Amino acid sequence: MAESVTSNIREPQPAPAKEARFSELAIAELEEIASHYPERKAACLPGLWIAQREYDGYLPPAAIQEVADRLGLSYSEVEGVATFYTMYNLRKRGRHHLEVCTCLTCAVKGAYEVVHKLEKELGVHVGGTTSDGEFTLSEAECLDFCGAATVMQVGDKYFTQLTPDNVKQVIDELRKSPDYTPAKLADSIVKTLLPGASETGGGSYSVEDLKNPAGPML
Amino acid sequence: MAIRNLLFEHREVAGIEEMDVYEKLGGYEGLRRAVTLERQAVIDDVKTSGLRGRGGAGFPTWIKWNGIPKNTDKPHYLICNADEGEPGTYKDRELMLKTPHLLVEGMAIAGYACLGTAGYIYIRGEYVEPAWQIRKAIDQAYKKGYLGKNIMGIEGFNYDLYVHMGAGSYECGEESALMSSLMGERGNPRLKAPHAPLPVHEGVWKSPTLVNNVETYCAAAWILKNGGAEYAKLGTERSKGTKIISVSGHIAKPANYEVEMGTPLLDLLKAAGGVTGGKLKAVIPGGSSVPIMTADKLDKINLDYESCAASGTMLGSGGFMVFNDTTDIVLLMKRTSEFYMHESCGKCTPCREGTRWLFKILDRITSGGGREGDIELLLDICSQIDGRSYCGLGDAAAWPIVGAIKAFREEFEYWIEHKRSPIGDHAVPPTPVVVNPLLTLTPA
Repeated sequence: MAESVTSNIREPQPAPAKEARFSELAIAELEEIASHYPERKAACLPGLWIAQREYDGYLPPAAIQEVADRLGLSYSEVEGVATFYTMYNLRKRGRHHLEVCTCLTCAVKGAYEVVHKLEKELGVHVGGTTSDGEFTLSEAECLDFCGAATVMQVGDKYFTQLTPDNVKQVIDELRKSPDYTPAKLADSIVKTLLPGASETGGGSYSVEDLKNPAGPML
Repeated sequence: MAIRNLLFEHREVAGIEEMDVYEKLGGYEGLRRAVTLERQAVIDDVKTSGLRGRGGAGFPTWIKWNGIPKNTDKPHYLICNADEGEPGTYKDRELMLKTPHLLVEGMAIAGYACLGTAGYIYIRGEYVEPAWQIRKAIDQAYKKGYLGKNIMGIEGFNYDLYVHMGAGSYECGEESALMSSLMGERGNPRLKAPHAPLPVHEGVWKSPTLVNNVETYCAAAWILKNGGAEYAKLGTERSKGTKIISVSGHIAKPANYEVEMGTPLLDLLKAAGGVTGGKLKAVIPGGSSVPIMTADKLDKINLDYESCAASGTMLGSGGFMVFNDTTDIVLLMKRTSEFYMHESCGKCTPCREGTRWLFKILDRITSGGGREGDIELLLDICSQIDGRSYCGLGDAAAWPIVGAIKAFREEFEYWIEHKRSPIGDHAVPPTPVVVNPLLTLTPA
């Protein structure tokens, strides 16, 4: 049960197994991003985003180890970063991670009612994941779209002006939709970091595109 | 009318995020004009405009720009702070989403004036949509030759612009923590002047670094296009130009409003359609970090740095939150302290421990366990945090509590004495329902 309260903290774990799950494209992306900074260490945050995508939406110790290896950092350095930022998932999340903003404006505009409605609807407490693995429910600190309170982030999308009445509709929609997974969020973030990525219109690109300065990527 | 759209001039134009539409409406003219001037003349123009940092502190922008060394012994880095996280503020989101080229242009101008090597736009991880617009704008600007090598045909004006995404940390909106985060570390703040060199001398990677807010860079683009003197015509004597105010809460038309500095606060309230759901009770004019103001004091406040300071609050980042009379200030402060407890990075003991104590005591009071002397205890803890940490997060956690006790002391006393809300059962924000974690919920 403690699990549901401190959902982003995990038990101490043994040294991770060496695993290399980065695809050729992911390695090319990491190298491109690392070239933006005078030091490779600066690519730590982007590297963790790539890892979160490659490791299916969360960062097991093996993912942290792989980022450390590829950037020439120690495991503890990268783990220190991964545990500091709330958007890096240290545990596996549901296919949709519902993060409801309950900060000031949202709270006075009824965010807690939305949260309670979601708890009832999904049958989990805040911090929990439904048994079918579809949804993880969390409270978030200010998502900074206060004018559209109550706001909920799911993957890379904001759902706005939620009320206890319309939130069921959002859940039903999400059940059917393949998008907005934690891995998709990481993928969208990685794309914003790559020069020329907008030329593909958010679509796919190849290792050659990344390396070729005359290609669709600048 | 007080609304004065400079940065938001074209926000309703369809396709303004695209290069051709933006250029047709006078886009990149600021950069064109800037490169015809000497670098110092650009900085002087910003000085003439009287522009002050729009991120919250209101530090004169030109002093930062002028502080960057005039030689390039070391590379110069420019950072745009787009890690907007202050509860109540969402202006940078709209600026990046609707007019991304304005920011790119502003950063290119700053890159020219400050001999920049590279610029980084540090965007909070949640802002994927705005970041994607910035990505598009940067790619288009490279194609047009507004970024890259020998920009606008000027030999040696090489300047790259990159996007850097955060990963969920309010603390990284603080200048020195943001620099730590950009360098791939935990977002902890660093020692500041006079104990350490200023960022303009030694910032990221021990190189001169300029850090400005999104709105500041956007305003610089406008200033270079229209001239600093034109900008200085607006506003008050010491607060020039316009400020974007994000209005939210119990208000009829929540949105971003760009107002001339010095606009009476009540005018903005009127323009936003007035309070909803009850009578006006209080306003937080500048984001959750600034002291709350009671309704009867609002007629004396104008929206500029000096007037807000004279009334005991701050203009801050412009997160303007309106509360009606169903709002319970003690519960509101409990939620505020919970935010700071969650976001304190943990580096400095007064802030790390103090924010937890503030929350625990407010939680005790609002759970019906308030004790006599709790108010004094809160004030004491606040005074122990204020000014005793590396960065301003600790101060920002203490000020709203002190402000609320000053303005609404009777509500705190009522809670402690009667163990319930002075507003009644329908107070907002509601006390979260305490659920027994051992109780299993069944899906509806």
